[in-house]
Amino acid sequence: MPTFRSNKFLFPVLFCAVLSALGPNIACATLGEAETTVQTDVDQMRASIRSSQDRLGYRVHEVQLPTGTVLREFVAPGGNVFAVAWAGPAKPDLRQTLGKYFDAFASAPRQNFADRRHVQIQQGDLIVEARGHMRALSGRAYLASAIPSGVSMGELH
Amino acid sequence: MAWMRAIKMGFGVVLCISALSCGGGGGSSSGSGTGGTTPPPPPASPANMVSVIVDAGPPSVNSVNTLFVSVTVCVPGSTTSCQTIDHIQVDTGSYGLRLLAPALTLTLPVETLAGGNSLAECTQFVDGFSWGPVALADVTIGGEKASSVPVQVIGDSRFTNIPSGCSGTGGMEEDTVSKFGANGILGIGPFELDCGDCDTNAANGFYYSCTTSCTQTAVPMAMQVPNPVTHFAVDNNGSIIDLPAAAATGVAMLSGSLIFGIDTQTNNQSGTQTVLTVDPMSGDLLITFNGQTLSNSFIDSGSNGIYFADSSISLCTNQSINTFYCPGNPLTLGLSMQGLNGVMANNLTFTVGNAQTMLSTAPTDTDDVLPELAGTLPPGNEGSFDYGLAFFYGRRVAVAVQGDKTSAGTGPYIAF
Repeated sequence: MPTFRSNKFLFPVLFCAVLSALGPNIACATLGEAETTVQTDVDQMRASIRSSQDRLGYRVHEVQLPTGTVLREFVAPGGNVFAVAWAGPAKPDLRQTLGKYFDAFASAPRQNFADRRHVQIQQGDLIVEARGHMRALSGRAYLASAIPSGVSMGELH
Repeated sequence: MAWMRAIKMGFGVVLCISALSCGGGGGSSSGSGTGGTTPPPPPASPANMVSVIVDAGPPSVNSVNTLFVSVTVCVPGSTTSCQTIDHIQVDTGSYGLRLLAPALTLTLPVETLAGGNSLAECTQFVDGFSWGPVALADVTIGGEKASSVPVQVIGDSRFTNIPSGCSGTGGMEEDTVSKFGANGILGIGPFELDCGDCDTNAANGFYYSCTTSCTQTAVPMAMQVPNPVTHFAVDNNGSIIDLPAAAATGVAMLSGSLIFGIDTQTNNQSGTQTVLTVDPMSGDLLITFNGQTLSNSFIDSGSNGIYFADSSISLCTNQSINTFYCPGNPLTLGLSMQGLNGVMANNLTFTVGNAQTMLSTAPTDTDDVLPELAGTLPPGNEGSFDYGLAFFYGRRVAVAVQGDKTSAGTGPYIAF
Protein backbone atom coordinates (compact mmCIF):
# COMPACT_ATOMS: atom_id res chain seq x y z
CA MET A 1 0.00 0.00 0.00
CA PRO A 2 1.95 3.01 -1.26
CA THR A 3 -0.24 5.58 0.47
CA PHE A 4 2.18 6.03 3.30
CA ARG A 5 5.04 7.08 1.10
CA SER A 6 2.98 9.96 -0.24
CA ASN A 7 3.75 13.64 -0.06
CA LYS A 8 1.98 14.17 3.20
CA PHE A 9 5.17 12.99 4.82
CA LEU A 10 7.27 15.58 3.10
CA PHE A 11 6.55 18.43 5.46
CA PRO A 12 7.29 16.56 8.67
CA VAL A 13 10.41 15.04 7.15
CA LEU A 14 11.76 18.46 6.27
CA PHE A 15 10.66 19.80 9.63
CA CYS A 16 12.48 17.03 11.42
CA ALA A 17 15.55 17.46 9.26
CA VAL A 18 15.69 21.05 10.44
CA LEU A 19 15.13 19.99 14.04
CA SER A 20 17.80 17.31 13.78
CA ALA A 21 20.25 19.89 12.57
CA LEU A 22 19.66 21.82 15.76
CA GLY A 23 21.08 19.07 17.89
CA PRO A 24 20.95 15.39 18.66
CA ASN A 25 18.71 15.79 21.67
CA ILE A 26 15.74 16.94 19.67
CA ALA A 27 14.16 13.75 18.48
CA CYS A 28 11.54 13.36 15.77
CA ALA A 29 9.79 10.24 16.78
CA THR A 30 7.53 8.31 17.18
CA LEU A 31 5.99 6.45 20.12
CA GLY A 32 3.21 8.76 21.25
CA GLU A 33 3.73 10.99 18.21
CA ALA A 34 1.82 11.49 15.01
CA GLU A 35 1.71 8.83 12.29
CA THR A 36 3.84 11.03 10.06
CA THR A 37 6.83 10.25 12.27
CA VAL A 38 6.78 6.70 10.97
CA GLN A 39 8.35 8.07 7.81
CA THR A 40 10.84 10.01 9.92
CA ASP A 41 11.92 6.78 11.53
CA VAL A 42 12.24 5.15 8.15
CA ASP A 43 14.48 7.95 6.90
CA GLN A 44 16.57 8.18 10.06
CA MET A 45 17.22 4.45 10.10
CA ARG A 46 17.74 4.16 6.32
CA ALA A 47 14.90 1.67 6.28
CA SER A 48 11.95 1.03 4.00
CA ILE A 49 8.25 0.51 4.62
CA ARG A 50 7.44 -3.05 3.64
CA SER A 51 3.70 -2.82 4.10
CA SER A 52 1.00 -0.73 5.70
CA GLN A 53 -2.14 -2.46 6.79
CA ASP A 54 -5.44 -1.36 8.28
CA ARG A 55 -6.61 -3.71 10.99
CA LEU A 56 -9.63 -3.59 13.23
CA GLY A 57 -9.01 -0.63 15.52
CA TYR A 58 -5.55 0.44 14.31
CA ARG A 59 -3.14 0.65 11.40
CA VAL A 60 0.28 -1.07 11.33
CA HIS A 61 3.31 -0.05 9.28
CA GLU A 62 5.91 -2.74 8.79
CA VAL A 63 9.40 -1.34 8.37
CA GLN A 64 12.38 -3.32 7.08
CA LEU A 65 15.57 -2.16 8.81
CA PRO A 66 18.99 -2.56 7.18
CA THR A 67 20.12 -4.82 10.03
CA GLY A 68 17.58 -7.40 8.89
CA THR A 69 15.23 -6.61 11.75
CA VAL A 70 11.56 -5.88 11.11
CA LEU A 71 10.01 -2.98 13.03
CA ARG A 72 6.26 -2.53 13.29
CA GLU A 73 4.67 0.75 14.30
CA PHE A 74 1.05 0.72 15.43
CA VAL A 75 -1.13 3.77 14.85
CA ALA A 76 -4.36 4.49 16.72
CA PRO A 77 -7.45 5.91 14.97
CA GLY A 78 -6.59 9.26 16.53
CA GLY A 79 -3.40 9.29 14.46
CA ASN A 80 -0.71 8.69 17.06
CA VAL A 81 1.74 5.80 17.34
CA PHE A 82 0.74 3.83 20.43
CA ALA A 83 3.07 0.84 20.13
CA VAL A 84 6.22 -0.32 18.35
CA ALA A 85 7.46 -3.90 18.08
CA TRP A 86 10.58 -5.46 16.64
CA ALA A 87 12.03 -8.88 15.79
CA GLY A 88 15.31 -9.80 14.18
CA PRO A 89 19.07 -10.05 14.64
CA ALA A 90 19.47 -6.55 16.11
CA LYS A 91 17.41 -4.11 18.11
CA PRO A 92 16.14 -1.03 16.25
CA ASP A 93 17.37 2.45 17.13
CA LEU A 94 15.12 2.79 20.14
CA ARG A 95 16.25 6.36 20.75
CA GLN A 96 14.57 7.14 17.45
CA THR A 97 11.53 4.90 17.78
CA LEU A 98 10.76 5.60 21.44
CA GLY A 99 11.45 9.32 21.08
CA LYS A 100 10.76 11.17 24.30
CA TYR A 101 10.18 7.89 26.12
CA PHE A 102 13.67 6.58 25.40
CA ASP A 103 15.31 8.05 28.49
CA ALA A 104 12.72 6.44 30.74
CA PHE A 105 13.59 3.07 29.21
CA ALA A 106 17.34 3.58 29.26
CA SER A 107 17.40 4.69 32.90
CA ALA A 108 14.89 2.19 34.25
CA PRO A 109 16.30 0.31 37.26
CA ARG A 110 17.37 -3.23 36.59
CA GLN A 111 15.01 -5.89 37.83
CA ASN A 112 16.13 -8.22 40.60
CA PHE A 113 17.63 -11.47 39.34
CA ALA A 114 17.57 -10.18 35.78
CA ASP A 115 19.50 -12.00 33.09
CA ARG A 116 20.33 -10.76 29.62
CA ARG A 117 17.43 -12.58 27.94
CA HIS A 118 14.34 -10.72 29.16
CA VAL A 119 13.25 -7.31 30.21
CA GLN A 120 9.88 -6.09 31.46
CA ILE A 121 9.83 -2.43 32.39
CA GLN A 122 7.04 -0.11 33.41
CA GLN A 123 7.94 3.55 33.74
CA GLY A 124 4.80 5.63 34.07
CA ASP A 125 2.72 5.02 30.95
CA LEU A 126 5.57 3.31 29.10
CA ILE A 127 5.81 -0.46 29.06
CA VAL A 128 8.76 -2.23 27.43
CA GLU A 129 8.77 -6.02 27.11
CA ALA A 130 11.57 -7.78 25.27
CA ARG A 131 13.19 -11.16 25.06
CA GLY A 132 15.56 -13.29 23.02
CA HIS A 133 19.24 -13.94 22.59
CA MET A 134 22.09 -13.08 20.23
CA ARG A 135 20.87 -13.20 16.59
CA ALA A 136 17.19 -13.32 17.65
CA LEU A 137 15.96 -10.31 19.61
CA SER A 138 12.34 -9.29 19.84
CA GLY A 139 10.29 -6.91 21.89
CA ARG A 140 7.71 -4.18 22.04
CA ALA A 141 7.11 -0.85 23.70
CA TYR A 142 3.73 0.71 24.16
CA LEU A 143 1.84 3.39 26.01
CA ALA A 144 -0.62 1.64 28.29
CA SER A 145 -3.17 4.45 28.25
CA ALA A 146 -3.07 4.78 24.47
CA ILE A 147 -4.09 1.26 23.43
CA PRO A 148 -7.27 1.70 21.37
CA SER A 149 -10.25 -0.05 22.86
CA GLY A 150 -10.85 -3.54 21.51
CA VAL A 151 -7.23 -4.12 20.51
CA SER A 152 -5.84 -7.37 21.89
CA MET A 153 -2.35 -7.18 23.35
CA GLY A 154 -1.59 -10.43 21.56
CA GLU A 155 -1.77 -8.60 18.23
CA LEU A 156 1.00 -6.16 19.13
CA HIS A 157 4.12 -7.92 17.93
CA MET B 1 53.78 -36.24 25.54
CA ALA B 2 50.15 -35.34 25.66
CA TRP B 3 49.89 -36.33 29.31
CA MET B 4 52.87 -34.15 30.23
CA ARG B 5 51.15 -31.20 28.67
CA ALA B 6 48.01 -32.19 30.49
CA ILE B 7 49.90 -32.16 33.79
CA LYS B 8 51.36 -28.77 33.05
CA MET B 9 47.99 -27.40 32.12
CA GLY B 10 46.44 -29.02 35.14
CA PHE B 11 48.93 -27.30 37.40
CA GLY B 12 48.53 -24.08 35.52
CA VAL B 13 44.79 -24.11 35.96
CA VAL B 14 44.99 -25.06 39.62
CA LEU B 15 47.55 -22.37 40.38
CA CYS B 16 45.83 -19.72 38.33
CA ILE B 17 42.23 -20.39 39.07
CA SER B 18 41.90 -18.28 42.17
CA ALA B 19 44.33 -15.57 41.15
CA LEU B 20 43.23 -12.74 38.95
CA SER B 21 46.62 -12.47 37.31
CA CYS B 22 48.94 -15.31 36.52
CA GLY B 23 51.88 -15.28 34.16
CA GLY B 24 52.69 -18.15 31.87
CA GLY B 25 49.36 -19.88 32.11
CA GLY B 26 48.77 -20.12 28.41
CA GLY B 27 52.05 -21.34 27.02
CA SER B 28 51.08 -24.77 25.83
CA SER B 29 50.36 -25.83 22.32
CA SER B 30 47.13 -27.50 21.39
CA GLY B 31 46.70 -31.10 20.56
CA SER B 32 44.60 -34.08 21.34
CA GLY B 33 45.06 -35.23 24.88
CA THR B 34 43.47 -38.32 26.27
CA GLY B 35 46.29 -38.99 28.69
CA GLY B 36 49.03 -41.59 28.89
CA THR B 37 48.80 -45.11 30.22
CA THR B 38 50.08 -44.17 33.69
CA PRO B 39 47.82 -41.65 35.38
CA PRO B 40 50.10 -39.07 36.97
CA PRO B 41 49.45 -37.62 40.44
CA PRO B 42 47.57 -35.38 40.94
CA PRO B 43 45.07 -36.67 38.40
CA ALA B 44 44.99 -34.24 35.53
CA SER B 45 41.86 -33.55 33.56
CA PRO B 46 41.84 -34.47 29.92
CA ALA B 47 42.96 -31.50 27.85
CA ASN B 48 39.49 -31.01 26.40
CA MET B 49 37.79 -30.80 29.80
CA VAL B 50 37.58 -27.93 32.27
CA SER B 51 35.65 -27.58 35.48
CA VAL B 52 32.71 -25.20 35.64
CA ILE B 53 30.76 -23.93 38.61
CA VAL B 54 27.40 -22.40 39.43
CA ASP B 55 27.91 -19.92 42.26
CA ALA B 56 27.21 -16.33 43.25
CA GLY B 57 29.59 -14.90 40.66
CA PRO B 58 32.19 -12.17 41.19
CA PRO B 59 32.06 -10.29 44.52
CA SER B 60 28.78 -8.38 45.04
CA VAL B 61 27.10 -9.84 41.95
CA ASN B 62 24.93 -12.46 43.73
CA SER B 63 23.90 -14.29 40.60
CA VAL B 64 21.61 -17.32 40.54
CA ASN B 65 21.66 -20.22 38.07
CA THR B 66 24.70 -18.77 36.30
CA LEU B 67 27.47 -21.06 35.04
CA PHE B 68 31.08 -19.89 35.21
CA VAL B 69 34.48 -21.03 33.92
CA SER B 70 38.05 -19.72 34.16
CA VAL B 71 39.74 -18.68 30.93
CA THR B 72 43.40 -17.86 30.34
CA VAL B 73 44.19 -15.12 27.84
CA CYS B 74 47.63 -14.13 26.59
CA VAL B 75 48.90 -11.38 24.34
CA PRO B 76 49.19 -13.26 21.03
CA GLY B 77 52.42 -15.23 20.85
CA SER B 78 53.44 -14.46 24.42
CA THR B 79 53.92 -17.08 27.12
CA THR B 80 54.44 -14.51 29.87
CA SER B 81 51.87 -11.76 29.22
CA CYS B 82 49.01 -13.96 30.32
CA GLN B 83 46.15 -13.80 32.77
CA THR B 84 43.67 -16.34 34.04
CA ILE B 85 40.27 -14.77 34.62
CA ASP B 86 37.70 -16.51 36.78
CA HIS B 87 33.91 -16.14 36.63
CA ILE B 88 33.51 -15.99 32.87
CA GLN B 89 29.86 -16.89 32.19
CA VAL B 90 29.33 -19.97 30.00
CA ASP B 91 26.59 -19.07 27.51
CA THR B 92 25.10 -21.31 24.83
CA GLY B 93 22.89 -18.40 23.73
CA SER B 94 25.70 -16.25 22.33
CA TYR B 95 28.89 -16.57 20.32
CA GLY B 96 32.35 -15.33 21.19
CA LEU B 97 34.53 -14.49 24.17
CA ARG B 98 33.96 -11.07 25.74
CA LEU B 99 36.04 -9.83 28.65
CA LEU B 100 35.26 -6.99 31.03
CA ALA B 101 38.15 -4.54 30.85
CA PRO B 102 38.10 -3.83 34.62
CA ALA B 103 38.89 -7.54 35.20
CA LEU B 104 41.65 -7.57 32.57
CA THR B 105 45.20 -6.56 33.49
CA LEU B 106 46.68 -7.25 30.06
CA THR B 107 46.73 -4.81 27.16
CA LEU B 108 45.50 -6.79 24.20
CA PRO B 109 46.18 -5.45 20.70
CA VAL B 110 43.07 -4.00 19.04
CA GLU B 111 42.25 -5.25 15.55
CA THR B 112 42.75 -2.72 12.78
CA LEU B 113 40.70 -2.58 9.60
CA ALA B 114 42.19 -2.24 6.13
CA GLY B 115 42.20 1.57 6.31
CA GLY B 116 43.98 1.56 9.67
CA ASN B 117 40.90 2.25 11.80
CA SER B 118 40.29 0.30 14.99
CA LEU B 119 37.51 -2.27 15.16
CA ALA B 120 34.95 -2.02 17.96
CA GLU B 121 31.70 -3.77 18.68
CA CYS B 122 28.30 -2.98 20.13
CA THR B 123 27.04 -6.24 21.57
CA GLN B 124 23.29 -6.08 21.92
CA PHE B 125 21.50 -7.89 24.71
CA VAL B 126 17.77 -7.84 25.34
CA ASP B 127 18.16 -5.62 28.38
CA GLY B 128 21.09 -3.49 27.28
CA PHE B 129 24.34 -3.33 25.37
CA SER B 130 28.09 -3.72 25.86
CA TRP B 131 30.62 -1.57 24.01
CA GLY B 132 34.33 -2.03 23.41
CA PRO B 133 37.10 -2.82 20.96
CA VAL B 134 37.74 -6.15 19.29
CA ALA B 135 41.23 -7.31 20.28
CA LEU B 136 43.35 -10.37 19.60
CA ALA B 137 44.30 -12.90 22.26
CA ASP B 138 45.59 -16.41 22.63
CA VAL B 139 42.73 -18.08 24.50
CA THR B 140 43.28 -21.21 26.60
CA ILE B 141 40.41 -23.01 28.28
CA GLY B 142 41.38 -26.17 30.13
CA GLY B 143 44.04 -27.64 27.87
CA GLU B 144 42.70 -26.30 24.57
CA LYS B 145 44.09 -23.22 22.92
CA ALA B 146 42.85 -20.85 20.22
CA SER B 147 45.66 -18.70 18.88
CA SER B 148 45.25 -15.02 18.04
CA VAL B 149 41.48 -15.08 18.17
CA PRO B 150 39.29 -11.94 18.14
CA VAL B 151 37.68 -11.21 21.52
CA GLN B 152 35.70 -8.20 22.64
CA VAL B 153 37.08 -6.07 25.47
CA ILE B 154 34.02 -4.53 27.10
CA GLY B 155 34.33 -1.16 28.82
CA ASP B 156 37.87 -0.51 27.57
CA SER B 157 39.15 2.87 28.76
CA ARG B 158 40.68 3.44 25.32
CA PHE B 159 37.19 3.44 23.74
CA THR B 160 34.92 5.54 25.94
CA ASN B 161 33.09 7.32 23.13
CA ILE B 162 30.01 5.12 22.68
CA PRO B 163 28.35 5.84 19.32
CA SER B 164 24.75 6.96 19.59
CA GLY B 165 23.76 4.12 17.27
CA CYS B 166 24.96 1.73 19.98
CA SER B 167 23.56 3.45 23.06
CA GLY B 168 20.38 4.03 21.01
CA THR B 169 19.65 0.31 21.10
CA GLY B 170 18.60 1.07 24.62
CA GLY B 171 18.61 -0.43 28.03
CA MET B 172 21.51 -0.56 30.42
CA GLU B 173 25.13 0.00 29.50
CA GLU B 174 26.67 -3.28 30.71
CA ASP B 175 30.30 -2.22 30.75
CA THR B 176 31.31 -2.95 34.35
CA VAL B 177 31.62 -6.26 36.17
CA SER B 178 28.74 -5.48 38.51
CA LYS B 179 26.42 -4.40 35.70
CA PHE B 180 27.47 -7.29 33.48
CA GLY B 181 27.27 -9.79 36.32
CA ALA B 182 30.47 -11.61 35.34
CA ASN B 183 34.11 -10.96 34.46
CA GLY B 184 33.28 -11.92 30.90
CA ILE B 185 31.15 -14.23 28.83
CA LEU B 186 32.10 -17.27 26.79
CA GLY B 187 29.59 -17.70 23.98
CA ILE B 188 29.67 -21.34 22.86
CA GLY B 189 26.33 -21.54 21.07
CA PRO B 190 25.88 -23.47 17.82
CA PHE B 191 27.32 -20.85 15.44
CA GLU B 192 30.86 -19.77 14.73
CA LEU B 193 30.21 -16.03 14.52
CA ASP B 194 28.18 -13.51 16.48
CA CYS B 195 26.64 -11.97 13.36
CA GLY B 196 25.06 -13.53 10.31
CA ASP B 197 25.90 -10.98 7.61
CA CYS B 198 28.45 -8.56 9.06
CA ASP B 199 30.97 -9.38 6.34
CA THR B 200 28.74 -7.81 3.66
CA ASN B 201 26.29 -5.54 5.52
CA ALA B 202 27.84 -2.34 6.88
CA ALA B 203 24.59 -1.35 8.60
CA ASN B 204 24.65 -4.47 10.78
CA GLY B 205 24.30 -2.69 14.10
CA PHE B 206 27.22 -4.55 15.70
CA TYR B 207 30.61 -3.62 14.24
CA TYR B 208 32.12 -0.14 14.15
CA SER B 209 35.18 1.39 12.52
CA CYS B 210 36.78 3.87 14.91
CA THR B 211 39.21 6.77 14.82
CA THR B 212 38.22 9.56 17.21
CA SER B 213 34.61 8.63 16.49
CA CYS B 214 33.06 5.43 15.24
CA THR B 215 30.85 4.52 12.29
CA GLN B 216 29.19 1.24 11.42
CA THR B 217 31.17 -1.05 9.18
CA ALA B 218 31.25 -4.40 7.46
CA VAL B 219 34.03 -6.70 8.71
CA PRO B 220 35.79 -9.67 7.12
CA MET B 221 34.64 -12.85 8.85
CA ALA B 222 38.14 -13.62 10.10
CA MET B 223 38.09 -10.38 12.10
CA GLN B 224 34.68 -10.97 13.72
CA VAL B 225 34.38 -12.32 17.26
CA PRO B 226 34.02 -16.11 17.01
CA ASN B 227 33.00 -18.87 19.36
CA PRO B 228 36.61 -19.62 20.39
CA VAL B 229 35.95 -23.36 20.47
CA THR B 230 35.75 -23.24 16.66
CA HIS B 231 39.35 -21.96 16.64
CA PHE B 232 40.82 -24.76 18.74
CA ALA B 233 43.25 -26.94 16.78
CA VAL B 234 41.22 -30.03 17.72
CA ASP B 235 37.96 -30.76 19.55
CA ASN B 236 36.48 -27.78 17.73
CA ASN B 237 33.09 -29.02 16.45
CA GLY B 238 31.12 -28.19 19.58
CA SER B 239 30.95 -28.34 23.35
CA ILE B 240 29.33 -30.43 26.04
CA ILE B 241 28.10 -29.14 29.39
CA ASP B 242 27.87 -31.90 31.99
CA LEU B 243 26.29 -30.93 35.31
CA PRO B 244 25.01 -33.03 38.20
CA ALA B 245 21.42 -32.79 39.37
CA ALA B 246 20.62 -30.26 42.09
CA ALA B 247 18.21 -30.61 44.99
CA ALA B 248 14.82 -29.16 44.11
CA THR B 249 14.84 -26.71 46.98
CA GLY B 250 18.18 -25.32 45.91
CA VAL B 251 21.83 -25.68 46.85
CA ALA B 252 24.63 -23.20 47.41
CA MET B 253 26.75 -24.24 44.45
CA LEU B 254 27.20 -26.88 41.79
CA SER B 255 30.33 -28.12 40.01
CA GLY B 256 30.51 -29.85 36.68
CA SER B 257 32.45 -30.07 33.45
CA LEU B 258 32.72 -28.28 30.16
CA ILE B 259 34.04 -30.66 27.52
CA PHE B 260 35.23 -29.55 24.09
CA GLY B 261 34.58 -31.49 20.92
CA ILE B 262 31.88 -34.03 20.15
CA ASP B 263 32.92 -37.57 19.17
CA THR B 264 36.56 -36.51 18.92
CA GLN B 265 37.82 -38.15 22.15
CA THR B 266 36.80 -40.98 24.43
CA ASN B 267 35.22 -38.50 26.86
CA ASN B 268 32.89 -36.74 24.42
CA GLN B 269 31.02 -39.53 22.68
CA SER B 270 27.43 -38.89 21.55
CA GLY B 271 26.25 -42.41 22.32
CA THR B 272 22.48 -42.55 22.14
CA GLN B 273 21.79 -38.86 22.67
CA THR B 274 18.68 -37.31 21.13
CA VAL B 275 19.79 -34.82 18.46
CA LEU B 276 17.54 -31.80 17.86
CA THR B 277 18.74 -29.56 15.04
CA VAL B 278 18.11 -25.85 15.54
CA ASP B 279 17.19 -22.97 13.24
CA PRO B 280 20.23 -22.07 11.09
CA MET B 281 19.64 -18.33 11.60
CA SER B 282 18.48 -18.04 15.21
CA GLY B 283 19.44 -21.29 16.95
CA ASP B 284 15.84 -21.80 18.05
CA LEU B 285 13.78 -25.01 18.15
CA LEU B 286 10.15 -25.93 18.87
CA ILE B 287 8.75 -26.55 22.33
CA THR B 288 5.19 -27.71 22.82
CA PHE B 289 3.74 -26.61 26.14
CA ASN B 290 0.12 -26.33 27.31
CA GLY B 291 -1.04 -27.53 23.90
CA GLN B 292 0.77 -24.74 22.06
CA THR B 293 3.76 -25.19 19.78
CA LEU B 294 6.19 -22.36 20.48
CA SER B 295 8.53 -22.01 17.51
CA ASN B 296 10.96 -19.43 18.94
CA SER B 297 11.99 -21.61 21.85
CA PHE B 298 15.53 -22.19 23.03
CA ILE B 299 17.64 -24.11 25.50
CA ASP B 300 20.08 -21.65 26.97
CA SER B 301 22.78 -21.91 29.63
CA GLY B 302 22.75 -18.09 29.72
CA SER B 303 19.19 -17.85 31.05
CA ASN B 304 18.95 -18.00 34.83
CA GLY B 305 15.42 -19.40 34.98
CA ILE B 306 12.75 -21.27 33.10
CA TYR B 307 10.82 -18.57 31.26
CA PHE B 308 7.44 -19.10 29.62
CA ALA B 309 3.93 -17.69 29.56
CA ASP B 310 1.21 -19.34 31.63
CA SER B 311 -1.39 -16.99 33.02
CA SER B 312 -2.80 -19.72 35.27
CA ILE B 313 0.27 -19.68 37.55
CA SER B 314 0.36 -17.07 40.33
CA LEU B 315 2.99 -14.38 40.08
CA CYS B 316 5.05 -13.30 43.09
CA THR B 317 3.56 -10.37 44.93
CA ASN B 318 6.89 -8.93 46.04
CA GLN B 319 7.31 -6.10 43.55
CA SER B 320 11.03 -6.64 43.01
CA ILE B 321 10.39 -10.14 41.64
CA ASN B 322 6.85 -9.88 40.35
CA THR B 323 7.71 -11.29 36.92
CA PHE B 324 8.62 -14.63 38.55
CA TYR B 325 6.12 -17.37 39.37
CA CYS B 326 5.05 -18.04 42.95
CA PRO B 327 2.66 -21.01 43.02
CA GLY B 328 1.40 -22.06 46.44
CA ASN B 329 2.82 -25.54 45.94
CA PRO B 330 5.45 -26.65 43.43
CA LEU B 331 3.89 -27.45 40.04
CA THR B 332 5.31 -30.20 37.89
CA LEU B 333 4.52 -29.53 34.24
CA GLY B 334 5.19 -31.37 31.01
CA LEU B 335 6.60 -30.29 27.68
CA SER B 336 8.03 -31.75 24.52
CA MET B 337 10.74 -30.48 22.19
CA GLN B 338 11.12 -30.84 18.46
CA GLY B 339 14.17 -30.14 16.35
CA LEU B 340 14.00 -28.79 12.83
CA ASN B 341 15.02 -32.32 11.79
CA GLY B 342 11.64 -33.51 13.11
CA VAL B 343 13.19 -35.42 16.00
CA MET B 344 11.11 -35.20 19.16
CA ALA B 345 12.05 -35.25 22.82
CA ASN B 346 8.78 -36.15 24.49
CA ASN B 347 7.54 -36.39 28.05
CA LEU B 348 9.99 -33.98 29.59
CA THR B 349 8.94 -32.44 32.89
CA PHE B 350 10.02 -29.44 34.89
CA THR B 351 8.91 -28.00 38.20
CA VAL B 352 7.91 -24.46 39.01
CA GLY B 353 8.65 -23.53 42.60
CA ASN B 354 7.80 -20.46 44.61
CA ALA B 355 10.39 -17.86 43.61
CA GLN B 356 9.71 -15.71 46.64
CA THR B 357 10.48 -18.61 48.95
CA MET B 358 13.61 -19.43 46.98
CA LEU B 359 14.96 -15.93 46.61
CA SER B 360 14.07 -14.11 49.76
CA THR B 361 13.77 -16.49 52.70
CA ALA B 362 16.76 -17.12 54.93
CA PRO B 363 18.72 -19.31 54.94
CA THR B 364 17.95 -20.48 51.41
CA ASP B 365 18.73 -17.07 49.94
CA THR B 366 22.37 -18.14 49.98
CA ASP B 367 21.48 -20.76 47.40
CA ASP B 368 22.72 -19.91 43.93
CA VAL B 369 21.44 -23.10 42.29
CA LEU B 370 17.66 -22.97 42.00
CA PRO B 371 16.33 -25.61 39.59
CA GLU B 372 12.70 -24.58 40.06
CA LEU B 373 13.09 -20.84 39.48
CA ALA B 374 10.66 -19.84 36.73
CA GLY B 375 9.26 -16.60 35.40
CA THR B 376 7.10 -15.01 32.78
CA LEU B 377 8.34 -14.53 29.25
CA PRO B 378 7.40 -11.31 27.47
CA PRO B 379 5.38 -11.86 24.28
CA GLY B 380 7.12 -11.72 20.92
CA ASN B 381 6.43 -12.29 17.25
CA GLU B 382 6.14 -16.05 17.78
CA GLY B 383 5.56 -18.12 20.86
CA SER B 384 8.63 -18.91 22.91
CA PHE B 385 9.79 -21.03 25.81
CA ASP B 386 13.21 -20.21 27.26
CA TYR B 387 14.55 -23.24 29.12
CA GLY B 388 17.53 -21.86 31.01
CA LEU B 389 20.42 -23.38 32.93
CA ALA B 390 18.02 -25.56 34.93
CA PHE B 391 17.69 -27.75 31.83
CA PHE B 392 21.39 -28.60 32.14
CA TYR B 393 21.13 -29.74 35.78
CA GLY B 394 21.42 -33.52 35.83
CA ARG B 395 22.05 -33.67 32.10
CA ARG B 396 24.88 -33.91 29.64
CA VAL B 397 24.03 -31.43 26.88
CA ALA B 398 25.98 -31.18 23.62
CA VAL B 399 25.92 -28.13 21.34
CA ALA B 400 27.27 -28.79 17.83
CA VAL B 401 28.47 -25.92 15.66
CA GLN B 402 26.81 -25.12 12.34
CA GLY B 403 28.26 -27.14 9.47
CA ASP B 404 30.38 -29.35 11.72
CA LYS B 405 29.89 -33.11 11.74
CA THR B 406 29.77 -35.45 14.68
CA SER B 407 28.94 -39.15 14.80
CA ALA B 408 25.37 -38.15 15.66
CA GLY B 409 24.72 -35.54 12.97
CA THR B 410 25.65 -32.13 11.62
CA GLY B 411 25.38 -28.84 13.52
CA PRO B 412 23.72 -26.61 14.37
CA TYR B 413 22.14 -28.92 16.89
CA ILE B 414 21.60 -29.50 20.58
CA ALA B 415 21.66 -33.05 21.95
CA PHE B 416 21.04 -34.61 25.34
